[in-house]
Amino acid sequence: MRVLTKTSLYYLLVSLVVFAVGGTVFYLTLREEIYDEVDDQLFTDKENIIAYIRQYDRLPNVTSGISEAIHVKQADPANLVMEQLKDTLIFSSYDEEFIPFRQLTFTAYRQGQPYEYTIYKSIMDFEDLTESTVLAMVWIFLLLLVGLVFVNYYTNKYTWRHFYDTLAKIKGYTLSQHQPLALRKSNTREFEELNQVLQSMTGKIHSDFLNLKEFTENVSHEIQTPLAIVSSKLELFMQSENITEEQALLLSDMYGALNRLARLNKSLILLTRIENREFSVEEQVPLHRLLQEQLAHLQEIIAMRGLELQQEELEEVYLHMSSGLADVLLQNLLNNAIKHNKPGGSIKVLLNSQKLCIRNTGDAPQDQPEKLFGRFQTGHDAVGSLGIGLALVKKICDLYGHIPKYNYTNGEHSLCIYFTK
Amino acid sequence: MKILVIEDEAALKDSIVAYLKQEGYMCDEATDYRSALLKTASHTYACVVVDLTLPGGSGLNIVRSLKENHTDTGIIIISAKNALDDKITGLEVGADDYLTKPFHLSELNARLKSVLRRRNFNGQKVLRVGEVEVQPEAAEASVAGKPLTLTRKEYELLLYFVSNRNRVLTKESIAEYLWGDHIEMLDSLDFVYTHIKNLRRKIIEAGGQDYIQTVYGLGYKFMSP
Repeated sequence: MRVLTKTSLYYLLVSLVVFAVGGTVFYLTLREEIYDEVDDQLFTDKENIIAYIRQYDRLPNVTSGISEAIHVKQADPANLVMEQLKDTLIFSSYDEEFIPFRQLTFTAYRQGQPYEYTIYKSIMDFEDLTESTVLAMVWIFLLLLVGLVFVNYYTNKYTWRHFYDTLAKIKGYTLSQHQPLALRKSNTREFEELNQVLQSMTGKIHSDFLNLKEFTENVSHEIQTPLAIVSSKLELFMQSENITEEQALLLSDMYGALNRLARLNKSLILLTRIENREFSVEEQVPLHRLLQEQLAHLQEIIAMRGLELQQEELEEVYLHMSSGLADVLLQNLLNNAIKHNKPGGSIKVLLNSQKLCIRNTGDAPQDQPEKLFGRFQTGHDAVGSLGIGLALVKKICDLYGHIPKYNYTNGEHSLCIYFTK
Repeated sequence: MKILVIEDEAALKDSIVAYLKQEGYMCDEATDYRSALLKTASHTYACVVVDLTLPGGSGLNIVRSLKENHTDTGIIIISAKNALDDKITGLEVGADDYLTKPFHLSELNARLKSVLRRRNFNGQKVLRVGEVEVQPEAAEASVAGKPLTLTRKEYELLLYFVSNRNRVLTKESIAEYLWGDHIEMLDSLDFVYTHIKNLRRKIIEAGGQDYIQTVYGLGYKFMSP
């Protein structure tokens, strides 16, 4: 939930509670006041009536103008009501409805006889008053509420705009873009502080990234060149006459080890470059065509190994990635399938819009399958294997959000890459 | 035929020059950007082998200036930068080939020969060792006038041998020449052996001599009679 929606909702909730409680209290107070007033009037009437009876020894003909009616009846001396206040409803033939009245019953003596007097006072006027007051209050509250929410929403939106701006910029920020983060200045202190922290943080990350990149490039150059020198010297050495068999074997070992080192260096550099996200050249890569090219290229090796290649499915698939990396990906997957195979085994290739699967027969893996994608993990004792091929596959998949999965069933290794479009 | 080797690492440059001199080329050397530019401006070379990272400037600028002034000169970039985009830039600027360090001298030699063939002989040059003839542009080979039926890889292997005749070629360099990066993952070099066996058989069957010599512990050699 966005912070704006959240504060607005809280605002609304608190307002509703205040409104409900305030309204109830207001209503009750008003009611109390009205009853008080009506009762006061009834008691005044009672005083007047008693005073009148005392003076004239009869009931007043006309009411004092306050009470609506007086009922008089002879009271039962055994059951005298001295004074009693209560609410009652009286049917009005004019309005054709029951109207709330307040009634006061009291007993007064006349010529030694007790008489029960009941006087009524309509409280309908007051009810109407309460009603209209509450109504007016509701409207005021509603308007206030709407106004507050509206003002709150827009002032917040205005204040938070820099925050959203910053957020959008950070979302779109990638390390490989060669610009530092440029955030808009804000006059809100917190946001300005946030911006400064972010700016210095990304600045630091950016410079670290550049350093690392530079380091990679330097290492690549610094290691490749001596390798090239040693390799070329060895090659020259090999051309010389009079090399004994012993020397030849030593030379050959050195040369082999050197080549291995060179390949390892190349792979590690590639891995680092992928991690650094240095491959920004992206295009719609025809994966099916690349796969066919690779298969054609490897045909001979596959045949020589006595393996059978089965193309189960080969749909046209275009992926948005760097074509160089796509090549590396396919190359490593196929090489892996060839290398970890048994004589007379098979390689099955499947490519459709959901996934690329390469399955090969082979011995059961000794390691835990999930470790297979780590560096320097060799499935089983394949001589000369660097154990870096599947780490490259994983890195490339990570880069483009594809999911590599491995499993081993019925004597078949299956490496699938699930595409996420 | 004059070749200019531009490389700031003296040891590597010396190896290249020594190898090429044995091949019968005349070699010039340059170790920095300025002297390289001077040499390319004052002489005409059949081919220039240039490193990209040089003291004083980038080898790419040398390639550019060569493309402007000496369009006949072949250019091979040798670089430690093995990024794909570096390769693409190098080739786009006008280089004929791009080798990443470390490379096999025999491979550099083979590529150099191929560049020179394309540049100077309009691709028509026939390479001949004894009765064996290779026509690179037609991708054909024959023994004593009889055409050889070779697979693509066998043909490439023969071309590699003929380009580097009388030299020891290691199994590793042959494998890398034939399969490129794929060899990185392939553990066994038996493929090389199989190909050589087949090539040798085909040449002998066509009436040629056995030119391919096994050098114990090191590799193979294609001997010219």
